Amino acid sequence: MSLQMEQHEYGTPMQRYWSPYAMNGGTGLAVSGADFAIVASDSRLSEGFSIHSRDAPKTYQLTDTTVLSCAGFHGDILALTKYLEARLQMYEHEHNKKMSTSAIAAMLSTILYYKRFFPYYVYNIIGGIDDEGKGCIYSFDPVGSYERETYRAGGSAGSILQPLLDNQIGFKNQQGVVKTPLTLQKAVQLVKDVFISAAERDIYTGDSLVIRIITKDGVKTETFPLRRD
Amino acid sequence: MFLTRSEYDRGVNTFSPEGRLFQVEYAIEAIKLGSTAIGIQTNEGVVLAVEKRVTSPLIEPSSIEKIMEVDTHIGCAMSGLIADSRTMIDRARVEAQNHWFTYNERMSVESITQAVSNLALQFGDDDADPGAMSRPFGVALLFAGIDPKGPQLFHMDPSGTFIQYDAKAIGSGSEGAQQALQDTYHKSMTLKEACKESLVILKQVMEEKLNATNVEMATVTPQRMFKMFSKEEIEGIIKDI
Amino acid sequence: MSIMAYNGAAIVAMKGKECVAIASDRRFGIQAQTVGMDFQKIFEMGPHLYIGLPGLATDVQTVAQRLKFRLNLYELKENRQIRPKTLMSVVANLLYERRFGPYFVEPVIAGLDNKTAEPYIAALDLIGCPMATDDFVVSGTCTEQLYGMCESLWQPDMDADALFECISQSLMNAVDRDAVSGWGAVVTLIEKDKVTTRTLKARMD
Repeated sequence: MSLQMEQHEYGTPMQRYWSPYAMNGGTGLAVSGADFAIVASDSRLSEGFSIHSRDAPKTYQLTDTTVLSCAGFHGDILALTKYLEARLQMYEHEHNKKMSTSAIAAMLSTILYYKRFFPYYVYNIIGGIDDEGKGCIYSFDPVGSYERETYRAGGSAGSILQPLLDNQIGFKNQQGVVKTPLTLQKAVQLVKDVFISAAERDIYTGDSLVIRIITKDGVKTETFPLRRD
Repeated sequence: MFLTRSEYDRGVNTFSPEGRLFQVEYAIEAIKLGSTAIGIQTNEGVVLAVEKRVTSPLIEPSSIEKIMEVDTHIGCAMSGLIADSRTMIDRARVEAQNHWFTYNERMSVESITQAVSNLALQFGDDDADPGAMSRPFGVALLFAGIDPKGPQLFHMDPSGTFIQYDAKAIGSGSEGAQQALQDTYHKSMTLKEACKESLVILKQVMEEKLNATNVEMATVTPQRMFKMFSKEEIEGIIKDI
Repeated sequence: MSIMAYNGAAIVAMKGKECVAIASDRRFGIQAQTVGMDFQKIFEMGPHLYIGLPGLATDVQTVAQRLKFRLNLYELKENRQIRPKTLMSVVANLLYERRFGPYFVEPVIAGLDNKTAEPYIAALDLIGCPMATDDFVVSGTCTEQLYGMCESLWQPDMDADALFECISQSLMNAVDRDAVSGWGAVVTLIEKDKVTTRTLKARMD
């Protein structure tokens, strides 16, 4: 063994930083009607100023009558959706029935809250058909606070879309207007319009729009191009 | 061979050469020493009725409890070693609340029974859940409740086996009572008729004279969910017999 | 928390056919606490010229007064009304003078040209970088919401009535999704021969 000790040079202290999270953008939107629900998302996956993918829709079909939209950190989205699928399968085996949309929403809330101090960085919106055959929407925050609503926009362009939905679907700030029930055609058209607007101003939203239309007969999918710049 | 046939009953995890688990069979025998319990399912709801053995005039009859609430929509009647049922009822209640907490819906009767059966089956396991014992439970249970499929009645024995019934009797008088149920049960029975019939049958199989203090009764209906009958209500039914 | 959002504000300006409009909320708050519901954020700079100043309330008032000061000097020296484009330059200058200790306001300008009656709208950042557009400009604490509304509701060549409806709906629905702006709104509609200022009945929560 050498008697000579290795000489170390000590520089000034340096702080290293690493975050377990990234923000991969993406926008989700859900709208419900009397007998349908629509869940839509864009298909852009980005980080900072780069686009990872133009073909990564953030809608996940959970059952025949339930679709989930996720935006936020894609790593957590993958982990969460995979875990959800496992839980869905376990429920089906244990209780011999498909999970209802309301049960999925309640379960997702507990899944999110169990990670209260190291959260899934995911903004979730569930759309589907409820036990009475009506369209239903549930929106969540990343730690499991949830609420049933009739429409909700979330993710990177959520705040761009939401006031327009308030105005056009919720008839907010409109006086003396007949509050006609939302038809499927009008809802689909509105979803397209608001996403065009979002793609105009939000760099994390664009490329294409995936619209999932949920009725008692199942889920139909429509795609629609958006700006790619 | 030094082992006689009977020595296969020394362990709960050893089959006899004939393929039997004696400890489980003995546990099932133990049920037949218990007081009689009856469950009848009708379209309007389910009724549970149990005999209480008040063996001394110094016993406070109301301290003998053989029908218990599992959740607002599920009740449970028991026969056998009642002390053993504590852990099982505890488990059933925890599972029901857990299900409600996680899914915001009421747990089905079958799922509750399945959950308790999982506990009942863990006897002798080295790494069993808390609550499991080194021997089989010495109690049989009747789960009665309301769920999306309607009124449901399930029977579970110490082996963990559970089966759905229209009407089921357990305990010492079960043989006679089951036969009586088979003769009188029909699909269009009303809940009121079922309540009365359960007491009629209990009366037949009980050694003591049936009265409002030595039977317990409860119903589970979509309107009132789990409801224990008061002494006065039981007296009202006895009067009609 | 950003100093720009300390008091809360929402301002939007839009072009129409031969008209422009500028609208603002009326809230004055200190973070989450609302203190006033009649706070002036839009200031007249000429017969057809208005400036909206969202940002730190103290700086709103200081900038409005310093701007009026420079405007008065301009009018005395030049003996004429200032043009919208020129006002924008004056504002840009005023703000850039404080490049390293800025006023925390991001102004919006709307007006018609004195001679040509050409509509003009522009927005500046807090150190005076201007942006003139031919559709709409937004500023304040709910720009995302305003962009979403304007991007969908605005269309080219709206007449005065349509422009009024468009800017009112855009502002009101945007501020309803912002906790620190709202509590009433005011819209100024600028036409060649008429300037109309209306206060809107809005939700007060």
